[in-house]
Amino acid sequence: MEQYSLLGRIGEGAHGIVFKAKHIEKQETVSLGWSKVALRRLEDGIPNQAVREIKALQEIEDNQHVVKLKDVFPHGTGFVLVFEFMLSDLSEVIRNSQRPLTPAQVKGYMMMLLKGVAFLHRNDIMHRDLKPANLLISSSGHLKIADFGLARLFTDQQDRLYSHQVATRWYRAPELLYGARKYDEGVDLWAVGCIFGELLNSSPLFPGENDIEQLCCVLRVLGTPTQQSWPEMVELPDYNKITFKENPAIPLEEIVPDTSPHAIQLLYKFLVYPSKQRCSARQALLHPFFFTPPLPAHHSELPIPQRGGRPPRQRLQAPPTDFSVDLPMENSLVDPALLQGHASCL
Amino acid sequence: MFHNSSQRRYWTFNREDELEKKRYNANQKFRMKAKESGKPGLSESVFLERHEEDVLFRHYERRLLDFCNAFKPAMPKSVVGTAAMYFRRFYLNNSIMEYHPRIIMLTCAYLSCKVDEFNVSSLQFVGNLLQETPAGQERVLEQILEYELLLIQQLNFHLVVHNPYRPMEGLLIDLKVREPRVSEESADDFLTQAAMTDAGLLFSPSQIALTAILTAMTLFSSSVFSYLTECLGLREDKETLSKMYDLMRRMKTLLKKYELPKPEEVNVYKQRLERIHAELNTSSKKDPFRVNMHRTGYRALLPLRYRSLLHTQTQFTPTQA
Repeated sequence: MEQYSLLGRIGEGAHGIVFKAKHIEKQETVSLGWSKVALRRLEDGIPNQAVREIKALQEIEDNQHVVKLKDVFPHGTGFVLVFEFMLSDLSEVIRNSQRPLTPAQVKGYMMMLLKGVAFLHRNDIMHRDLKPANLLISSSGHLKIADFGLARLFTDQQDRLYSHQVATRWYRAPELLYGARKYDEGVDLWAVGCIFGELLNSSPLFPGENDIEQLCCVLRVLGTPTQQSWPEMVELPDYNKITFKENPAIPLEEIVPDTSPHAIQLLYKFLVYPSKQRCSARQALLHPFFFTPPLPAHHSELPIPQRGGRPPRQRLQAPPTDFSVDLPMENSLVDPALLQGHASCL
Repeated sequence: MFHNSSQRRYWTFNREDELEKKRYNANQKFRMKAKESGKPGLSESVFLERHEEDVLFRHYERRLLDFCNAFKPAMPKSVVGTAAMYFRRFYLNNSIMEYHPRIIMLTCAYLSCKVDEFNVSSLQFVGNLLQETPAGQERVLEQILEYELLLIQQLNFHLVVHNPYRPMEGLLIDLKVREPRVSEESADDFLTQAAMTDAGLLFSPSQIALTAILTAMTLFSSSVFSYLTECLGLREDKETLSKMYDLMRRMKTLLKKYELPKPEEVNVYKQRLERIHAELNTSSKKDPFRVNMHRTGYRALLPLRYRSLLHTQTQFTPTQA
């Protein structure tokens, strides 16, 4: 700890407070994520989230599009994670841009995001919580994936059950909304689709206010799933718990207006019900979208909003954060009576 | 992937004497500290020699494996393997005289459950200490949580362990087709024995798995040589082939050298270990063992509502075992 001098507070991260600091010898600015054991669930020791983050970040090689863990060391009753310092994040970019991002800028961000995701998946890591606020922007305009608190190493073993209460709601894949406990890296690809839509529209694609409304939002756009469009659906735990009024899909051109056909085509590849049919990050990078003009913007042509100067940011976008892995699901469900207008419950 | 893992980069060593040197240094480091502390009970006559430490290490390692294998719900092999590896890594740089293996072994198992996503609650975990009363279990839990951070730190925050179980599954699938007589059991036995040696610190998981399979094959006098040359395509590659033979030989010697600790030896050394730890627990003013984990650094910067939390936490005192 003595090696660093603190420069100020940046905000609150997944595990606690995040500080901006400078390495005294190297004169290098970093951010210190301070994970303090016992902020919650004292009885279980070091939280799983923190263990997962360290585990994931220690095992991967450097990648330009994944935030680099420079060091970890114990401090007090917890430990400090030292990351390279990042100026901002994509949610701020989307919120603060005066006009919509240009197609070239959207392509630039998408390309960096997909490269990062492809890298993680190649290393058998599913992130499980991709969202604009977790995509940090460096002072050179690079996008880097951060916040590995929910990341898991995935295996091909069929019998492992995972928690379905992962991912921030707006970016949560439909199989998770139906309570799936066995899922794959497709949950990240769904989130990539949602982020893509958000970049194009400058507003979230599926802003559900609660889990059931979230499903309504998705179904309204993609149409109610059928045996043909989603055969695995009937096996999902919560499939029988709720049914929705049937409605046809709305063409994505109407949801994301004024967008090039290539972009729509690529968006369709992520936003499909069966997880296995979603386009892998590696394949997506080869899509004509990235090779037709306007070409992806160079990182120096991307906006870099300044962090700091302002008080610690209020989460204006209010990403729903009721996804704690440890909470029973009932707590995040709403009173069915409120939903009668939208759905007929069994 | 193993090839870019922290295990390969930081926890795989070339030679056995490197390991012995580290353990020797840990032993010396403790002796130095003990002398500095000026406690009258800590004298040369009670200190454990390296080979004595080894006997106790093997004793507690057995207890760790017994605890894991009797665990309910049943613990997956990889969780057990990871726990055993943590235990080995921890005592590579620390002496059992400094940190009592009784509590470190449980902390290793506890952390390994977390890291390998074998989700059991802390109460469920200590509920497996059948010989303890509920109150005793709670005390043990408190100690585990106290040592968890120390353990992670001593593991250098490298938490992922690659076990030989998955590579072995893969090899077996291939082998079953060619040589149905090879029994999984004898290969499994090999891995169990290997887990109680330094094999995991010297070889890659796939090397260990391959040696296990080939050892099982020789029991049925099937030709190991033709498996390596034909199936693994090493016919042309004489250099790799001879390397393979060499490391298999080294691994087998390692396993053969393993001796179960003798109960009478264990009892004698244990008495000395307990004396040392009892002595460490008596406080003295200039005590180098007392690690003060509370430094002020962040405190002043903390918002008020968090500051109160600092007081509720237990002091981190590794000597309390």
